[in-house]
Amino acid sequence: MSVNTNDIFIVGAARTEFGRFDGEDNELAETAVRGALADCGLAWSDIEFAVGGTNGETKPDNLVSRLGLTGLPFVTVKNGCATGAVALMTARNGLIAEDLDVACVVGYDNHARGAFNVSPARYGLGDWYGATGMMVTTSYFALKIARYLHEHGISQRTLGYASAKAFDYAQEHPYAWRRKPVSVDEAMDADMINDPLTRFMFCAPDAGAVSLVLARGSKAYDLCETPIRLASVALRGRRPGSFEVFSPWLSPGDRTSPSIDAAKAAFDLAGITPADVQVAQLQDTDSGAEVIHLGETGLVAHGEQEAAYRNGEFEIDGRLPLNTDGGLLANGEPVGASGLRQVHEIVRQLQGRADGKQVPGAPRIGFTHVYGAPGISACTVLINEGARP
Amino acid sequence: MGIAVVDSTLFTSVDPVVLAGSMCGACGAHVFPAMDSCPTCSSLDVTRVGLPTEGTLWSWTTQHFAPKPPFRTDEFAPFSIGYVDLGPVIVEGWLVGKTQWTIGEQVNLVLAKAWTHEGAPVFTFGFEAVT
Repeated sequence: MSVNTNDIFIVGAARTEFGRFDGEDNELAETAVRGALADCGLAWSDIEFAVGGTNGETKPDNLVSRLGLTGLPFVTVKNGCATGAVALMTARNGLIAEDLDVACVVGYDNHARGAFNVSPARYGLGDWYGATGMMVTTSYFALKIARYLHEHGISQRTLGYASAKAFDYAQEHPYAWRRKPVSVDEAMDADMINDPLTRFMFCAPDAGAVSLVLARGSKAYDLCETPIRLASVALRGRRPGSFEVFSPWLSPGDRTSPSIDAAKAAFDLAGITPADVQVAQLQDTDSGAEVIHLGETGLVAHGEQEAAYRNGEFEIDGRLPLNTDGGLLANGEPVGASGLRQVHEIVRQLQGRADGKQVPGAPRIGFTHVYGAPGISACTVLINEGARP
Repeated sequence: MGIAVVDSTLFTSVDPVVLAGSMCGACGAHVFPAMDSCPTCSSLDVTRVGLPTEGTLWSWTTQHFAPKPPFRTDEFAPFSIGYVDLGPVIVEGWLVGKTQWTIGEQVNLVLAKAWTHEGAPVFTFGFEAVT
């Protein structure tokens, strides 16, 4: 193949360990950026365009006060759980639209303990919704998976398989937060948080940062031996019929989902099908979300998830190694960093230098999926195109 | 004095209890609580309507930990919430009377005490199993 001028590659990637962090948010972000620069041998002064994402109160564009006042354009994005993917998309667009060669993306957050506490007014809802205890993210996840299990005849134990898989991957991943293994029985027997989801079936907000360096066209091969092509990135919002967090009502017709739409767009833009994917990352805010997203992205047929877990299809040597760094369940969710963590893990897997378990057989095609409030999803397809053409 | 409720705009009538939704004159979509535009087709031709008071349980969960503020209660005990298919719209609300449910159960709209304010009960809406 020849390298198209508008092909975008990831040439550098770095992340911090996720978990609790006592320092300043910007310190985390700086660590990740410096790591990504070192990964491809660049200096901050080489970066022509930057994008930063956080769901917190700090200003990503002020990172220049730590990294260097080079005068570069620095865009800030804030799109909830899709922040990382939107930051990546914005950087790609910036490189192409501005005719630049090298961009840096960073996502980070440092959240307080416990479930997110959200104000009803931010979602256009009356005070009654929060006062009566319905403004709770964990109950939403539970209500959604309870319905999904019912509609597709999937056992509750499937949720235990998803949790056990996540912690099994994480125990060998040096940057994951929760690395202690949890058996299927332990996951099933743990304290119930919101039926049918137990304590080991939810991720928790925490701290972490991830950074990527992107390069355009043949420049990518000057900076990296094995650049990974960003074959597509697609962002979609909700349509009537979707089932989103903080919804006092749902429409009774056919269900739609921004994840279905974003995944289809990402596959179509990349010219591949779900069957081509060799390693994947799905938003597993809870075990049920992973089960649902397997179906919605088309990676597994609706209702076939239980058998796929039982058959080991998502294990490192299975048909579709899934969330090989432990996913959100084991990494927690620093919202701004989470989507970029997924891309970081896929890039490492496709380059054959995974931080934890490495997918055998030199996988070429990877996929990532984020999903969150108020009903948005973003997906990417990442491809290892091999040595310089 | 009448019955105190968490938000009077949620109801067309408190006794008997009826929820206030809105219906779109252009596409027919029903939503709850009532809105002044249609989120399905963006029409402004919407009318406030009373919603059916009987339905089928569409999904449920039981909340085993006390939510953070602004959640308000006299004394926390695990409680159930669910989505109830009322026909034209599926509505989220409390499920009262028990904490283990089955999708497909028939339920009725009722008032349920949310908390006590200055010695008097304040009610929200909920659904209970048809016996």
